[in-house]
Amino acid sequence: MSAGTPQARGLAPHALRHRRDARQLTTGQLADFRRAITATQGIGDDRGYQYWAGIHGLPLPISCVHHRELFLPWHRAYLYLFEKALQDQVPGVTLPWWDWTHHGGGIPDAYAKRRAEGRKNPLFDSPIQASGRATPSQRRTTRSPGAPGGLPLPGQVEAVLKNSDFFTFQTQLESIHDGVHVWTGGTMSDIATAAYDPLFWAHHSMIDRLWYLWQLRHPGGGVPAALLDRALAPFPMTVRDTLHVSRLGYDYAAATAAAPGPGHG
Amino acid sequence: MVERFTSKPIELPPAGHRFARADLLFYGLDHSGASYEARVFLDPRGVGGNANAEHRAYVGSFYILGHGGCFGDVGHCDIPSARDAFDLRPAHQLEPALRILTVTDAVRNLLERGIGEAKVTVTAHAVGRAANDVLAFETVRLASYG
Repeated sequence: MSAGTPQARGLAPHALRHRRDARQLTTGQLADFRRAITATQGIGDDRGYQYWAGIHGLPLPISCVHHRELFLPWHRAYLYLFEKALQDQVPGVTLPWWDWTHHGGGIPDAYAKRRAEGRKNPLFDSPIQASGRATPSQRRTTRSPGAPGGLPLPGQVEAVLKNSDFFTFQTQLESIHDGVHVWTGGTMSDIATAAYDPLFWAHHSMIDRLWYLWQLRHPGGGVPAALLDRALAPFPMTVRDTLHVSRLGYDYAAATAAAPGPGHG
Repeated sequence: MVERFTSKPIELPPAGHRFARADLLFYGLDHSGASYEARVFLDPRGVGGNANAEHRAYVGSFYILGHGGCFGDVGHCDIPSARDAFDLRPAHQLEPALRILTVTDAVRNLLERGIGEAKVTVTAHAVGRAANDVLAFETVRLASYG
């Protein structure tokens, strides 16, 4: 961490945002998030939802990193920059995470309901731009979820978090990640189209959260030094830039509260 | 590509060898096609028929999120056979994957039954209506750690 960051200077991280459990959002937080998604879905240029979804898969080139050593860093950068695009539309909004180990209802209501707040729910599905379709008829995202019992169990996640070696942790976490894509079915089940589904972002926020939790548990472990300066194309970031979520302006605090201090006057 | 595969017998850790963890490592997995669940079984004779996750030899599943086919022109999805040492571009998207399945308890159980080697059976279950013949990998290895 550089000397200029708020943490290094011992100051409160005023701008730090919290990514929250999708099932725990307040009405206002959920409304803000929906407003941000809707706004980006209405933009046709490189600030818009289609542009960001297309980076992961179609149209070519497919830029995402799967089944390789930079899976976690690449997706952390991807979520960070998409979240910034959302914040450009609705300041302060953050990506919620989908805790799929909570089997109560499978896909969270916020994403599962076709309509919300008296209108179409932008988290239920999304258009797919013509150049992003795997087949010409694939105009909107779809899902075909399995039974909630088919999602990963807390014990499986716990076993993965116990790995002290980064690559083993990442490989086993990616298998769980792949399983949730398979479980969700439809658009999410292909790399080429997965990111068009609004649920993709909640799923990957959960994966990113688990990496964060792993980092807390294994402070001496981490990405091997040889990878730290690798670029995460097409993003203007390296692996090193992704190591500390607080430097990226967010965290996954399970609960958070604050009160003002006396100040420096 | 196949939908099921049974390996030749793999030696289990020798009797008396203490280990804290045992992993099955699947090297060289193809992920160019449909996404799938791979159910893995460990049994002295292998597993036939339509064994499912209730089978006593079932040791867990791994998953592959696939690319769903090639969307480029001819040659787009061919993995280069050689790579220039000065080539700084990222690896090809379809470089094979690795999966690691922890099977500590299953290996211990086999050893307690006096079994010294076992076959690994893998059955693929593709997502949606895709055909199940999506399974291809180079090697499966059992590794135990002290």
